[in-house]
Amino acid sequence: MLTRLTQLEEEARSAIDSARDMQDLQAVRVRFLGKKGEITALLRSMGQLPPEQRPEFGRRANGLRDLLEQLLGEKEKELKEKEAADRWERERIDVTLPGYPVPLGRKHPLTLVTEDIKEIFTGLGFQVARGPELESDYYNFEALNMPPEHPARDMQDSFYVAPQFLLRTHTSPVQIRTMELLHPRLPVRIIAPGKVYRRDDDATHSPMFHQVEGLAVDRGITLADLKGTLLLFAREMFGPEKRIRLRPSFFPFTEPSAEVDISCINCDGEGCRVCGFTGWLEILGAGMVHPRVLQVCGYDPEDVTGFAFGMGVERIAMLKYGVNDLRLFFSNDLRFLKQFR
Amino acid sequence: MRVPYNWLKEYVDFDLPPLELADRLTMAGLEVGAVEPWGELFSGVVVGRILAIEPHPRRERLALVRVDRGGGEEVAVVCGARNIKEGQKVPLALPGARLPGLPKPLEALELGGVLSQGMLCSAQELGLELVQEAEGILILDPGAQPGAPLEEVLDLEDSVLVLELTPNRADCLGLLGVAWEVAALTGGKLKLPPVDPPEVEERVENYARVDVEDPDLCPRYAARVIREVAVAPSPLWMQIRLLKAGIRPINNVVDITNYVMWEFGQPLHAFDYERLEGGRIVVRRAYPGEVTVTLDGKMRELNPEILVIADASKTVALGGVMGAENSEIGPETRTVLLEAALFNPVNIRRTARRLGLPSEASQRFERGVNPESVLEAQGRAALLMSRLAGGEVLQGVIDVYPKPFQRCRIAVRPYRVNEIIGKKIPVEEMVNLLERLGFDVQREPNRTLAVTVPLRRSDIQLEEDIVEEVARLHGYENIPTTLPRGELIECREAPELRLHNLVRDTMAAMGFYEVITYSFINPNLLRRLRIGEDTELARAIPLQNPLSEEQGVMRTTLLPGLLKVLQHNFNHQEYNQLLFELGAVFLPRRLPLEELPDERMTLGLAATGAVTEPNWSGGGRQADFYLVKGVLEALFRKLGLGSVDFRPLESPFLHPTRAAGLFLEGEELGYLGELHPEVATDWDLRQAVIVAELNGELLFSRASLVPRLEPLPRYPASLRDISVVVPREITARELESCIREAGGELVDRITLFDLYEGKQIPPGKRSISFAIAYRSSQGTLTDEEVNQIHGRIQQALFALGATLRT
Repeated sequence: MLTRLTQLEEEARSAIDSARDMQDLQAVRVRFLGKKGEITALLRSMGQLPPEQRPEFGRRANGLRDLLEQLLGEKEKELKEKEAADRWERERIDVTLPGYPVPLGRKHPLTLVTEDIKEIFTGLGFQVARGPELESDYYNFEALNMPPEHPARDMQDSFYVAPQFLLRTHTSPVQIRTMELLHPRLPVRIIAPGKVYRRDDDATHSPMFHQVEGLAVDRGITLADLKGTLLLFAREMFGPEKRIRLRPSFFPFTEPSAEVDISCINCDGEGCRVCGFTGWLEILGAGMVHPRVLQVCGYDPEDVTGFAFGMGVERIAMLKYGVNDLRLFFSNDLRFLKQFR
Repeated sequence: MRVPYNWLKEYVDFDLPPLELADRLTMAGLEVGAVEPWGELFSGVVVGRILAIEPHPRRERLALVRVDRGGGEEVAVVCGARNIKEGQKVPLALPGARLPGLPKPLEALELGGVLSQGMLCSAQELGLELVQEAEGILILDPGAQPGAPLEEVLDLEDSVLVLELTPNRADCLGLLGVAWEVAALTGGKLKLPPVDPPEVEERVENYARVDVEDPDLCPRYAARVIREVAVAPSPLWMQIRLLKAGIRPINNVVDITNYVMWEFGQPLHAFDYERLEGGRIVVRRAYPGEVTVTLDGKMRELNPEILVIADASKTVALGGVMGAENSEIGPETRTVLLEAALFNPVNIRRTARRLGLPSEASQRFERGVNPESVLEAQGRAALLMSRLAGGEVLQGVIDVYPKPFQRCRIAVRPYRVNEIIGKKIPVEEMVNLLERLGFDVQREPNRTLAVTVPLRRSDIQLEEDIVEEVARLHGYENIPTTLPRGELIECREAPELRLHNLVRDTMAAMGFYEVITYSFINPNLLRRLRIGEDTELARAIPLQNPLSEEQGVMRTTLLPGLLKVLQHNFNHQEYNQLLFELGAVFLPRRLPLEELPDERMTLGLAATGAVTEPNWSGGGRQADFYLVKGVLEALFRKLGLGSVDFRPLESPFLHPTRAAGLFLEGEELGYLGELHPEVATDWDLRQAVIVAELNGELLFSRASLVPRLEPLPRYPASLRDISVVVPREITARELESCIREAGGELVDRITLFDLYEGKQIPPGKRSISFAIAYRSSQGTLTDEEVNQIHGRIQQALFALGATLRT
C-alpha cells in the first residue's frame, strides 16, 4: 500500500500539472481529495494493514494529502492569474480609436464677444438693458441732441420704414429709454448690446452690425471715471498690459467727447501694419452725457453728470480673433463658425 | 482739409516738425488722417538764366540756347519751345536729373549734331499743373538765383497734413483756424495777414446795388467792386500753394478767391461785373422751373427751395454752391464784383445734395462760416487783386447784414469744470488756455468766469463746451483714471436677456451652431416659401430706401435667412448642418406703419443631414422630425416649461404630413416640421430639412428657472409593461392621456419604449408598448393594487380600440 501512495503522488502531480483550467483542477481535487477520492479511499482501507505499519502509513498518507492541498493551491493561483490575464487580453481595446462623436455646437463669435463685454461691465455693477431695433426718430435722433436738420439724420445714412420710424443707427436710443424708465432713480448704470443698421455695404461696412452702448449717470460722475472704466475694460478684454488713450472728438450727445484708442494688440505700440504704424487702434467713442440729453430724460444736469460710450462688436471681435474680413461674420460659413470655442 | 505745412507757418510761429505737429493736433481733437510728403516730383533741376538763343545749325524748328547754370558756368541746350527770351529764368534739368515722365535719368544727348547738355522744362515735364501765359517752358520769377535747386525756389518740398475734421470744427476749414489752434497748443504767436486793400475814391455804391430778398437763407451779403483788373495766371507761389491744397489754379482772380478761402475758410465768388445786368445783385429763391448752366457746364433745373444770386434779369449763381457760366470771369474781364456772404447751412446742404454738387464752398457753408471774418476775407482778396492783378478797389463795401450775429457769453464755474473732468485744474491755467484760443475771459465776483467766444467757434455755447476746451488743451492724457463710486443698482440684467444666454448655451450644447443673418430680406423669399399674400408672415415692413431688393423688407420669419445659410454651406460641400438663430422678427400691427411694430424675439432651427459625423462605431444618424423634437423637448425641460402640445399642422412650406404646431398652455408657440420637399427642391436643398420656429417672447415669459423642489420618493416603484395594437389614427398622445386618466395619480411615469408596424400586425394598425411605473407616496404598492390599476388601464385602452398584442 505504501507503493500505492507513491504511485498516487505521481498520478496526482501529473494530473495537477496538466489541469488547464479551474474546472480541470476541481476534478483533480475531487479525484484525489474528495469524499470518495483516492486518498480518502486508501485511508479508509488502512485497516487491512498490520497494526504496526498503520501509524507510518497514516503519517505518509496525511503527508501526501497536505502536499496535494499545497500543490492544488499553487496551481489554482497560477490558473487564476492566467485566466485573468487571458480575460484582460480578450478585453483589450485600441485606445487610439476615435471616440463616439458627440455633437457640439458653437455660439456665434459676435455673441461670444458680446458676452465677454457684458461680463466685464456687469462685474463693474452695470445692468444689461435692451431696446427696439426699429426706432422712432425721437429716440434715435432728437432726444440725442440731433435736431431735425442735423447732418447725421440724412436719408443717406439711415434705413427708414416710415417718415418717423427707422432702423436704429446706433444703440444710443437705449440711453434715453433707460433714463426715462429709471428717472428719478440713481445711479443709472447700464450697457445695452444690440443690432444697429446703416446704409453702407462694402468690404468694411455691413448694413447691419452690432454695438454695445454704455451709460453711467449719477452725482459726481467724471471724465476721469470714464477713463478709468474704459481702461479697466480694455485690460480685461485685451490683456493687462494694454494702455488706452482718449482723443477729443465730437458726438452730438456727449460733451466733452472722445475717441478711444488702445495700444495696438499686435505690436503693443511699436507701430505695425495692423495699426497703420500709429501704435494705436481705435475701439470706441465716448464722452460725458450732453446736458440736453440728461434734461430730456428728466435729470437735472446741475445735479447729476454721466458718461456714455459705444463700441462696435464686430471691430472688437476682429481685433480679438484676428478676423480680417467683416463679411465673414454674416456669411455664417460653418468653416468659419467651427473655429470658435 | 489739406494743410500745407509751410503755408501754415506763415500765420503762426511754432517749431514742431510736421509729424509732431500732426500728433499734437490729433491729441487735441483735430485728427490728422495722413501727413503726405509733397514735392519729390523731380531732382537735378536748377534755375537757369537764358544768355542767348541761337538758331540750331541744322534743324529749323529747334534753337540752341546758352544757359547760365549758376556759379559762372554755362551750358548749351537744344530747345524747341517758342516762349523763351534772353534774360529769363527757366528750369534747367542737367544730365542725371530725374523727371516724372522719364523712366531713366536724363543724359546729355546729341540732337541734330549738337550736344544738348540738359533740358529746359515745361511745368508739365516737371509734373506740375501750373497755368502759364504762353505754352512752353516754365518761366520763373526774375529774382530766382541761377543754380538754385528748383524745388527750393518753388517751395516744393513740403508736407501736407490732411485733417479729418469732426463736424463741429468748421473753424478749421481755413488755415487761420488751424493757426489759432496751433497757437493755443504751443503758445506760439499768431500772425494775421493784412486785410485792408488800398481804395480809390470812387464809391462802390456808384457801381452796384444789392438786394437780399430772403435774409433767412442769406443772413449777410457783402459786395466789393474791383476795376481795371488784368486777368492772367497767378504768380507761381500762389499756384503752387493751391496745388498743395488740392485746388487747380485757373487765373489770378479765381485763384485769389480760392486762396483766401483756404486762409479764412470763407468762400468767395467773383462775378464779371460787366455781365451783371444793371450792376445788380438780387438774392432770392429760384423761380419754379428756372434753369441755369453752372460753371461745370451742366444744365441745372431749379426750384424755389434753392437760393440763387441773380442780376436784374437772370440767375448768375447758386448761392454758396456754384457760379453760373453767364457771369464767369474770363480773359476779357476788366471789372470784378466780389461776393462774400453767409448762407443758411441747412439750405446749402439740401441744395448741394439735391443737385449732386458738393463743392469746397458748399462744404464750408454747410458747416457754418465765421460771420466775423466775412469782411476781412473780402478785404484780403481785394488787396491781393490790387497787388497781383493790377485792380483798383472801389471805396467801401455794400454790406447787407440786417441781423448781426452775437458772440456767445458763457458763465463758467471753474469748480464745476473740475467736477466734470475729475481733476483740480487751477483757475489760472483755465484762463490761460481759453485766452490762447482767443476767447475773452473776465473774472466775475462769484467765483465764475465770463467767457465770450468769438463767432469763429460757433460750436461753443454751453459751459460743457468750455469744459471740453479746457480738458482737451490741458490734455486728456493728463486726466487721472478713477472708477465711479455709488450705490448698488437694482438688478444686473433684464431677465429675458439671461434667458437668451441660456437658450444659446443649451442649443450649442446640443450640437447646434448659432448663425446671425440680416434682419431684412428679399420679399421674394417669402413668396418662394409659398406664404399666402394675406397672411401675417406676408405683411412685412418695407424699407423706404433699401440698398437693394435683397434687403427690401423686415423679416417676419427667420426661415429664409436660415435656408440661405443652409444653401451657402451646401455650396461648400457641408451637407450636415445643425443651425439656430435667436433674433427679432418684425410684425407690424398695421401697414403703413403708424406705431412701432411688434418686435418679436424668435428662435429658429434648421437641421439637415447627419447629426454626427459617420464613425467606425456606426453613427451618422440623419436629422429628422423626432431629432429636432427631442432637442426642443430638452430645451423646454431646461427652461422649466410645462408640457408643450404638438398638433398636426398644415403649412404652405412644410411637409403635409410631417409638421406640427406647438402649443404652450393653449397658446401658439410655433411650428416644427420637415420642409416641404417642393420648397426644398426650389431652394436647391435636395435632402430632408427639418425646421422650427418658436415665439421667443412667449417662451421666455413662461420659463421658470427656479424649481420648487419636490421631496424624493420614499417608496419603490412597481414596473409593468403593456403592449397594444391600435389603429394608426390613434396618436401616441391620445394613448398616453388615456393611461394617465385611467391610472390616476399612482401612475408615476410612462415610457413609450417600442413601436412596431409591419408584417406581424394587421395593415392600418401599429403596435405600441409602454412601460408604466406605479408609485404611491403613502407606501409600497402591493402586487394586487398594481394589478388592479393596470387592469383598469387595459380596459380603458380597449375602449379606445386597442387590442392586446400577443
